[in-house]
Amino acid sequence: MNDNRDQKLDNLLRSRRLEPPGANLAQRIILEARNLPQAPNSSLWESMRQVFAEFHLPKPGYVLASALVLGMVIGFSTPEDSRLAAEDNSASVQNFLSPDEALL
Amino acid sequence: MPAAWPDKDDHELLALVQDGSSQAFAALVERHTERFYRLAYRYLQNKEAAEDVVQDAFLKLWENPALWQPERNSKFTTWFYRVVVNLCLDFRKRKRPEALNDEAAVIDEREPADKMMIREQEQEALEKAIDTLPERQRTALNLCFDEGLTNQEAAEVMGVKLKALQSLIMRAKTTLKERMKNYL
Repeated sequence: MNDNRDQKLDNLLRSRRLEPPGANLAQRIILEARNLPQAPNSSLWESMRQVFAEFHLPKPGYVLASALVLGMVIGFSTPEDSRLAAEDNSASVQNFLSPDEALL
Repeated sequence: MPAAWPDKDDHELLALVQDGSSQAFAALVERHTERFYRLAYRYLQNKEAAEDVVQDAFLKLWENPALWQPERNSKFTTWFYRVVVNLCLDFRKRKRPEALNDEAAVIDEREPADKMMIREQEQEALEKAIDTLPERQRTALNLCFDEGLTNQEAAEVMGVKLKALQSLIMRAKTTLKERMKNYL
């Protein structure tokens, strides 16, 4: 009984009515396309998307990578003078200490 | 008249479309329009709407051929089924209030006079029952029964595992059997 119902439902599903498309549907699409310009294949945005799609990092990955890049940028952008000044300070402290140490 | 290019497979045609060949596009459209129309019709139950959706899908491909990424999709038809299904779902969301036909919702359960009428009523009841199925169950049913895709292919189109697809079909059929009990 149940098998019969299954079979009948399958038959019904396979014989659903279908209104055929207009005879010139394909031609209509082709003609319509002729009036439309194609988008350039590799825009900057598309290339960027492809690069990101290639790496496909999860979101925490993006955050970590951005933090590292930011850290490197800050590190490299520290002015040369401040590093020199720091070295000068340490040198002068050495100079100041050395006479006392000599006494010891 | 565009050449049909029977010697070129879909992927070769798509590569040409990406290089701007309108002839390759025409060949692709001629090769697949009916197949995708059938699927769209199953969703929308309306000839004009189904034609519009298929046209939209192909024109999107023409305007932006980079949408097709062979390295990410195994088969053009699998990918394009997905495009068409998504457009149909969008269309249904936009048009739902008008698309529902109140007359079709009333199923006449009187004994019909002849076989033709029985058949018409069965069909009407079936379409109505299918229309009330959840989206994913309806998609699974349409792909497997109408498009004749294997369960594996349908699962790929829907982006689900084979078991999940089988379960969707089973649930859909259980619901349909219940709703169609007067006709089965």
